[in-house]
Amino acid sequence: MITPKTTAPGKAVRKDKKSTFEPRIMAFCCNWCSYAGADLAGTSRMQMPPNVRIIRVNCTGRIDISFILDALYQGADGVLVSGCHPGDCHYTSGNLKMKSRFALLKRLLEEAGLEPERVHLQWASAAEGEVFAEGITNMVERIKKLGPNPVGRRI
Amino acid sequence: MVKRIALAQLSSCWGCDQSLVDLHLKLLDVLPALDIVYWPAVVDYKMADLEAIPNHSIHFGFVEGSCRTKEDLHLLRLMRQKSKLLVAWGSCSAYGGVQGLGNQWELNDLLERKFLKADTITEGRIPEENLPGFTEHVTPNPDIVDFEVILPGCPPTSENTAEALTALISGKPYDLPDKTVCDQCPKERKEKKIKKFFRTHEGHIDPNKCLLDQGYLCLGFATIGLCGAQCPTVNTPCKGCFGPPPNIKDHGAKIISALGAIADMTPEELERAFPDPIGSFYFTDYASSYLSRIRGKQRSRKKK
Ligand code: SF4
Ligand code: SF4
Ligand code: SF4
Repeated sequence: MITPKTTAPGKAVRKDKKSTFEPRIMAFCCNWCSYAGADLAGTSRMQMPPNVRIIRVNCTGRIDISFILDALYQGADGVLVSGCHPGDCHYTSGNLKMKSRFALLKRLLEEAGLEPERVHLQWASAAEGEVFAEGITNMVERIKKLGPNPVGRRI
Repeated sequence: MVKRIALAQLSSCWGCDQSLVDLHLKLLDVLPALDIVYWPAVVDYKMADLEAIPNHSIHFGFVEGSCRTKEDLHLLRLMRQKSKLLVAWGSCSAYGGVQGLGNQWELNDLLERKFLKADTITEGRIPEENLPGFTEHVTPNPDIVDFEVILPGCPPTSENTAEALTALISGKPYDLPDKTVCDQCPKERKEKKIKKFFRTHEGHIDPNKCLLDQGYLCLGFATIGLCGAQCPTVNTPCKGCFGPPPNIKDHGAKIISALGAIADMTPEELERAFPDPIGSFYFTDYASSYLSRIRGKQRSRKKK
C-alpha cells in the first residue's frame, strides 16, 4: 500500500449541507423475520426515521453482494441488511453465509476507499419490531455522520 | 473480398499481439483474407497514417489496451471513427486491465510512487515535457466508445483471436459464452467445505482434484470459460484474467458471494485469508467494478 486511500466523501459539501442532509437508506429484509419485524414496527406505530426503502428478500443468504454494491453505485447513502438471528434461519444457514460475505464486503469497501460503515448487517426477528426500528435509527445516525454517498445523488 | 483490418495499442503490455503472432503458420489461414492497414506492433505505422484513412473504411478495428494517457483516448476515438466494427481485444480493452487496479489511488499518488518514491529511483522527477498527459482514472473502453465485439482475456489465447477473426471474416456474429472456466476444467469436484485457504506455494496440490476444494483460491467458477482452463489444468489456480461471464455484473461481488457460501470458516478467518480483496478478486477488471465506478464519479465531480 502506498498511501492511505482516504476518500473524504464530499467533505466541503458536508459542512454546509449537514443540517439538511437526509440519508437515503436501502434495507434488504428477510421475509421470515425482519420484514415481519418491520411490519410490526409499522403497525405498532413505533418511532422510526422515514429514510428507508425496504426490499423484501426470501433470505439474507439470497442477497448477492452485487445488489449492495449496485445500490451504493445508484446513490444509496447506506445499505442495511436485516436477517434472522443466528440459528433461526428458515433455510438453516443463509444468514451465516451473509455474515461471512459481509466480512469480506467491509474489507473490500475499506480497501476501495469507501467507508465500510455505509453497509450494516443486523439481526431482528419477527417479534422484534423495536429492534428493527432502533437499527434503522442507528443506521440513519451513522450515515448522517459520514455525509452523502460520494457518487452523488441518483436515486 | 479482402477485409481491411487495423490493430491499435493503447496502454498495454502488447501481450495480446504476442498471442496473435503465436499462431505462427496458422496465421496463414486468415492473412490472405485481410489487408492490414495499421499495425504498429509489427510495422512502423504512425498515428498520421491512421488519421489519413477515410472514416468507416476499416472493416475490423482491434483495440488492445486501456486509456491511461490522453493520447490513448485520442487513438481509441480515432479507431472508432475509422472502423465499421470495433473489437475490444483483451481484458485491458474490455475491462480496463491490470492497470485498472491503479484506480484505488489518486493520479498524484501513483505518479509520486512511480517516479519519486520507487526504491530504485535517485533524483526522481515526474516527466511532463513532450508527453500527452495522464488520464485521472482508467475508464473501461466500452464506457468511452461503442464496441461491436468484446473479446476478453489477458491475453485472449491465440485460438480465441483466430476464432473471432474467422467468424468476423465470414460475416458471422461472435458472442461470448455463458460457461465458466470450471465448465472446461477436467478436475474432479466435490461438495465444497473449505476450512482454510492456502497460498499457491503452500502445501501439496493433488493434481486430480479441484483446486478450490483443496483450499486454493481458484476463480474458475466466476470466470468466463474461453481459455480452456489452461491454468488449473497445470495446477495453477485461475486468477480470473478473462473476467466474469456476460451475465455477471461485478466479478468481485460474485466471488465474495460464493466464498460466503462455500467456506466453512468464521467471518474473521475468512477476512484474514484475503487481506487484499481488490487485488485477489479483480485482477484485470477492477476498473469495471461498481466500487471503481463510484470513485470515478467522485473524481469527476471533484474536478467540476
Ligand atoms: S489484456 Fe493482458 S496480455 Fe493483453 S495487453 Fe492487456 S495486459 Fe497485456
Ligand atoms: S480447479 Fe478451479 S477451474 Fe477447476 S473445477 Fe476447481 S475451481 Fe473450477
Ligand atoms: S484459467 Fe483463469 S487465469 Fe488462467 S488463463 Fe484462464 S481465465 Fe485466465
